[in-house]
Amino acid sequence: MNRTLSLAVAEAFRRMARPLAWYYAITLAIPIANGAAKAGATFVDHALVVLIFPPVLILIVCATYVTATRRRRT
Amino acid sequence: MKAKLCALTVVALVIWGLKRHYSDASADDLWWILGPTARLAGIMTGTAFAASPGEGYVSHERLFLIEKSCAGINFMIAAFGMSAFALMHRVGSGVSGASVLGVSLLAGYMAAVLVNAARIAMALWLATHPVGLSIFTAAEIHRLEGIAVYFGGLVLLHELVQWLDCRASVARIGQ
Repeated sequence: MNRTLSLAVAEAFRRMARPLAWYYAITLAIPIANGAAKAGATFVDHALVVLIFPPVLILIVCATYVTATRRRRT
Repeated sequence: MKAKLCALTVVALVIWGLKRHYSDASADDLWWILGPTARLAGIMTGTAFAASPGEGYVSHERLFLIEKSCAGINFMIAAFGMSAFALMHRVGSGVSGASVLGVSLLAGYMAAVLVNAARIAMALWLATHPVGLSIFTAAEIHRLEGIAVYFGGLVLLHELVQWLDCRASVARIGQ
């Protein structure tokens, strides 16, 4: 199960690397280049959520998919 | 190689131009994206949105305003850039470069309208069906919903572009 999940997560991150990169570029890199970081704690708080939530979503979707596939087989 | 470099330069210029337009534009100037988004969100939710000069599109019945920050220009930029990079291997001449840029721009625009309308529909639904998670405030849920919808939209668009690109390649080999 753990190995299946690891493989599914690795494959999902490989497939989603390009959308993730563009998402980070638009939501983090460009605002930082435009000086959004000067907003201090407000921006850091927002940036952390934007940075962490998409990978967490990928993990949740993978775990759900692997669990559902396993249940169907048994 | 030269055609690819030209296409990449145009992609960068379009992104810069869209960003520039977005920062200078008022809600009225963004009619080309706010209008279709409001209409589609209206169809999805059965809500009537009316143009409100200087503000955007408003639903008086639901007390909801689709304003400039809801235009989804940043999503459109990401969708356009991502599609253009995914199709860049097809650029070999000026014509193919123009086709890739045109298709990417159209894909970015349509995806932005669709995803944004879905996000607004979800926000309207959440406003009437509050999620019972006490650890998050309504604003935090709205933010997480935005991240999930926009990132999910980019992933779906990427998969669609890859699939269509693959099909087109198979069809070309088959000829």
